[in-house]
Amino acid sequence: MKSSSVKSQGIRTSRRFGVFAVTFAAVYAVVYYIVLVNNWPLFSYGPAVGEWTLFNHGASDGPTMYWYGWIATSAIVAAVIGALVSLLPERMSRRLWSGLAWLVPLGAIAAIFHLLGGYFTH
Amino acid sequence: MWIALVITHGLLAFLLLGAVTHQVVSVLVPARAGATHFVARFRAVGSANYANAIIVLYLITAALGAYIYTNYRISARLILEQGHYWKSFGAFEIKEHLIAIGLAILPAYWYFWRQPLDETDAVTRKLLTVLIAFIVWWAFLAGHIANNIRGLGT
Repeated sequence: MKSSSVKSQGIRTSRRFGVFAVTFAAVYAVVYYIVLVNNWPLFSYGPAVGEWTLFNHGASDGPTMYWYGWIATSAIVAAVIGALVSLLPERMSRRLWSGLAWLVPLGAIAAIFHLLGGYFTH
Repeated sequence: MWIALVITHGLLAFLLLGAVTHQVVSVLVPARAGATHFVARFRAVGSANYANAIIVLYLITAALGAYIYTNYRISARLILEQGHYWKSFGAFEIKEHLIAIGLAILPAYWYFWRQPLDETDAVTRKLLTVLIAFIVWWAFLAGHIANNIRGLGT
């Protein structure tokens, strides 16, 4: 009895992780594209001066890197939404199509190619 | 130190490229029973065995690349800009975004490759693998080309 309860708990946890993982991949891809286009990093970094600043701030000298900040913003938003969706009752989360895990990132990649396509026609 | 890190990054990327290529080929064109030649053996690898190695290699290679990226930003990138190598520059810009998106796919990739494999998820598993293979190939080639333009230690 105890072993079957542990097993069913394990299956539930695994299913929840699956829902989280699919949601995380899809939400992250969308948020990353939006964050990239609008330049909404959680933090910025100036590599020439080793300077970290919150949000979108130019470094006091040299170039500013936003890439780490874009990843952080997207990961936090996707983790929160993924966690919330994984807590939904099974009858609702069961409707989540697993293909969103590759389809939405593929769409974001296509959008990024379109956004940066100018480099190839320069 | 940067040269040693770039070489290590390249070697790790090469291992990752090999692992993901093995896996994607075995998923897309699995070997027929009885075939014994080199290509058939290449296709016949146990694709599920590669998943964890691919995830670990991806994370380590990306982390090292993210560290080296600070040096690229203040040195090699300027050479690409000043030399008007716009296609290589653009390919490298796209690389950084592909790597970032690939990181977010890894939890789902791990989930759909966990044992025992669920046959109802076969298409999702296959397409996630193809997507990761595409990202790794793009990143490898774009990094390799950018490095060739800049050169080591110049």
